[in-house]
Amino acid sequence: MSWITITPTLHHSSTPGLILMLLPRFQYHEPATLAEACRMMAELGGGVRPIAGGTDLVVNMRRGAVAPGHVVSLGRIKELCAMHLSGRTLRIGACCTVASLAGSSDIASQFHALNEGALSLGSPLVRNLATAGGNLVTARPAADLPPPLMAYGGTVTLQSSQGQRLVPLDQFFVGPGRTVMEPSEILTSIALETPSPFSGSSYIKLGTRRALEISIVSVASCLTLERPGGRIQSARIVLGSVAPVPMRAEDAEKNLIGEIPSPPLFAEAAKVAAGESKPIDDYRGSAQYRRDMVSVLTQKTLQAALERANASE
Amino acid sequence: MKKTIHITVNDKPFDLEVEPNQTLLEVIREKLCLTGTKAGCLVGDCGACTVLVDGKPVSSCLILAVQADGKQITTIEGVETPQGLHPLQTAFVDKGAVQCGYCTPGMILSAKSLLDRNPRADEAEIRKAISGNLCRCTGYQKIVEAILSVSRTSP
Repeated sequence: MSWITITPTLHHSSTPGLILMLLPRFQYHEPATLAEACRMMAELGGGVRPIAGGTDLVVNMRRGAVAPGHVVSLGRIKELCAMHLSGRTLRIGACCTVASLAGSSDIASQFHALNEGALSLGSPLVRNLATAGGNLVTARPAADLPPPLMAYGGTVTLQSSQGQRLVPLDQFFVGPGRTVMEPSEILTSIALETPSPFSGSSYIKLGTRRALEISIVSVASCLTLERPGGRIQSARIVLGSVAPVPMRAEDAEKNLIGEIPSPPLFAEAAKVAAGESKPIDDYRGSAQYRRDMVSVLTQKTLQAALERANASE
Repeated sequence: MKKTIHITVNDKPFDLEVEPNQTLLEVIREKLCLTGTKAGCLVGDCGACTVLVDGKPVSSCLILAVQADGKQITTIEGVETPQGLHPLQTAFVDKGAVQCGYCTPGMILSAKSLLDRNPRADEAEIRKAISGNLCRCTGYQKIVEAILSVSRTSP
């Protein structure tokens, strides 16, 4: 926790420990429609930031890391706040809160790993504000929603006044804090396909405490069997906090396809996943510890996913 | 440029002129003079500034006041009833769940939101519900016992 500092100047690069008593001044806009929001983002140019839950932007302003001239609120745009399952596609509006994901019965019944990811993000106080879209666009390597969303092959919709494009989450993140989004684009929704029958998934976050924690390592796995007790038809393993962006362990996935699931098979895949990860040393953990934990969490999530796949209809 | 917002705080309606860079916490403490809501870390880590927005607990330091336009807000001052202290407040006193008191308003509001949804919450649910509220004095045990004593006696 930091000291409270009263400062009359704006710090555009974050100074460790700095907490501004007053947020920097900005003009606030509250469009009622997406079209209006897109127009504002285009017209207001470089000094504009969208705000949804505000749990990142307000903190970054408070720390003096950003001082946008204009803030465009997305929170009153109804279509961004809706979540619905139609056919096999679950569409999550970017402004759906993390608490609403954690409380969704569609997600709890068909997207276990996403339910677990939502429940492990921040604290109840943060989950009631933080949004699904916000957890993606900030592109933190340790964010809790990207691994499960990528494990289901999620795709995001980006909208600007120029038009709309779809980007698979696999190709969305570029580096810490960086995505393929243009400054004028708004992430409007995330679409997931309901896993095929005989699928199961799991997300495990490793931290030193259970709330308000930034992951040391996190892993999401999703398995589909050809039938209960049968061979593995498809597998996705996504690693968080062990690379500049959330990453798929593709070689580990390949090791699983077409095989009969077993503890030795999962142990081998876990070893491969650990080898694929690219962790760094920092104060939360060493690279070697993280690599070892990738292996442990990969095995645990695969085992949990298998049990859920065998229990599914 | 100031904006006018309409919020309901503890069942009383207010029309307020606020600056866009003012947080809900600042407006509650400085404009409405409801200083039961505490300013702690100011970056959403400690829970001292917890208020209920439409019944849900949130960190009021993370919400811009303009974002709260149209919402129903409950602060610790709105928890007491005409009959006296809320059962949670009485339990905190009886069980010695208050030491320095800085986390107490947030703890009580997080607990109230839980028990309003789930009056018979168990210990695990209680610990999860207050996991965003940090207490540096009590070690949490007496706080959990106080909340549990209310959930055990609810009908």
